Amino acid sequence: MNGIRLLPRRIFAFVARDFRLFVSYRMQFFLRIISVLAVVTTLFFISKISAGFTDPRFTQWRDPFATWLTGLAVLNYFMTGFSSLANSIRQEQMQGTLESVLLTPINLPTVIVASSAWDFLETTFFSFLYLFFGRVFFGVQFRGSFFLAVIFLLLTTVVLACLGILSASFAMVFKRGNPFGIFLGAGSALFSGVFFPTQLLKEYAGPTLGNISLLLPTTHGLQGIRQVLLEGHGLSQVTQPLLVLLGFLVVLLPFSLWVFSRAVRRAKREGSLIQY
Amino acid sequence: MIAVAESAISIRNLSKTYPSPFRRLRAFFRRPVKEPVEALREVTFDVHSGEIFGLIGRNGAGKTTLTKIVATLVQPTTGTVNVRGNDSVFHDEQVRRQIGLATAEERSFYWRLTGEQNLMFFARLHGLSDRIAKQRIRELFAKLELEEVARRRFGEMSTGNKQRLAVARALLPHPPVLLLDEPTRSLDPLAAARMRELISSLAKQDPPVSILLTSHNLAEVETLCERVAIISRGRIRAIDTPQHLRGLTSKSEQVHVTVSGLNGTNESERISFTRQVGDNELDERLRDLQSRGARILDVETLRGSLLDVLEMYESKGETQ
Repeated sequence: MNGIRLLPRRIFAFVARDFRLFVSYRMQFFLRIISVLAVVTTLFFISKISAGFTDPRFTQWRDPFATWLTGLAVLNYFMTGFSSLANSIRQEQMQGTLESVLLTPINLPTVIVASSAWDFLETTFFSFLYLFFGRVFFGVQFRGSFFLAVIFLLLTTVVLACLGILSASFAMVFKRGNPFGIFLGAGSALFSGVFFPTQLLKEYAGPTLGNISLLLPTTHGLQGIRQVLLEGHGLSQVTQPLLVLLGFLVVLLPFSLWVFSRAVRRAKREGSLIQY
Repeated sequence: MIAVAESAISIRNLSKTYPSPFRRLRAFFRRPVKEPVEALREVTFDVHSGEIFGLIGRNGAGKTTLTKIVATLVQPTTGTVNVRGNDSVFHDEQVRRQIGLATAEERSFYWRLTGEQNLMFFARLHGLSDRIAKQRIRELFAKLELEEVARRRFGEMSTGNKQRLAVARALLPHPPVLLLDEPTRSLDPLAAARMRELISSLAKQDPPVSILLTSHNLAEVETLCERVAIISRGRIRAIDTPQHLRGLTSKSEQVHVTVSGLNGTNESERISFTRQVGDNELDERLRDLQSRGARILDVETLRGSLLDVLEMYESKGETQ
């Protein structure tokens, strides 16, 4: 009970700490803003090459520039949901600060969630920046319910956070961070339809490889958000990706929490939690 | 003399063996399997309320594992640790509310944050409100003479200041139990003396702080601690007052008496003899000197040191 009451204060402690660390690298912050602008501008000009040649089968790709921007913004967010949980504990382990944090009356799940909070805030800002630059400098129009899009965003992020919990468990026991990172990072960019329609994979690489995209929560999350933001669909038209994401959540949430509790027990027994 | 015999830390039959990681997996792939490491075996002792309890032993003797188990960072294989009635495994959060740990490990702070910002972060994790935390940090900075470096980044502080900051962090939530791992290792002689004074005053304050002190500085342990445990190869070999422990190595002691006025001269003279611990020879010799008109200027006794005791148990362990 006391832990729940103190949770906001503890999350604030981590956010305040990370904000201070963040502003101690000011130049990096400005360079990142510039790099987002450079990516958005580059995508705008690449989209001009294919203007008017879009395949009518791919309804979400009528304006490839807008589709890429939503893809990048959302992928950025999903990857944070997935990787920050594992990275947070690994980073504290490597810095040598995990021991001193764990000496306070705070439990490990709180440490993991609270130390990821700043990553989410930062990613929200930079993801928003993709859409903001697209809208302000290149006139991209977004329609549909932003509320529904946010629900998709949160749901997919929670599903990916379950994978992140599995990854954090792995980092705790094996002292290696992000083991699923390569699969989900590169895999999502290739198979989730961030840069091109997933149907093309099936056509060119065959159904086996093409169906990999269906196994990734990012594919369904991205599909739902684009249907809402770019095609203006309502809730009744996006039930399929919504149900798939809920299915992922029902399976992954209890499983990841079970694995995590086992990992914490093992790490404490072996004394590997505070090693790096 | 211990005024209150209530236990602040109670350790019973504590053993810790670090298992060989992924033993079956390694064996399956025919990779070399490391043997499990026994760090502690059947350790039992109590630290009383308001007591400064010393733990001495060589590197790798098990001091750090023991401290980490008390601090709930590592779980014991068998046995129990209770901190003011709370079990370190089943009520670990309660235990952490009661303890502060200061180590000489510099990497336990955020190097790009100032000393003040670092402490503020940890104070918030302890659940202190910002107002109380600021006030407490000010108090601790004054007590540990850190005011001048409060706004300096941790990475730019001297080693001694970093160590003092670690002690300040341990004291943040007013813990009734303090675990100190070489608290004066990097301090200059003056700062070390002040730190010892602080440690001593903590145990005397009301309510008192119970302290488990691990150190390689035997003179410091002898000065500060009411009782000392000698740990070697994961086992507690002896627990007693420093005075009694010193008596374990030898039953005799060297006595040097400095006197003046003997034989009608004003020059000081040093008389040395060996006596058995506990006999009347010292009284008799002093009485005899005084009856001969001598003024006793100084009496110095040299018995086996804690180092001798440590060496004795180490050599016993080797022959076992």
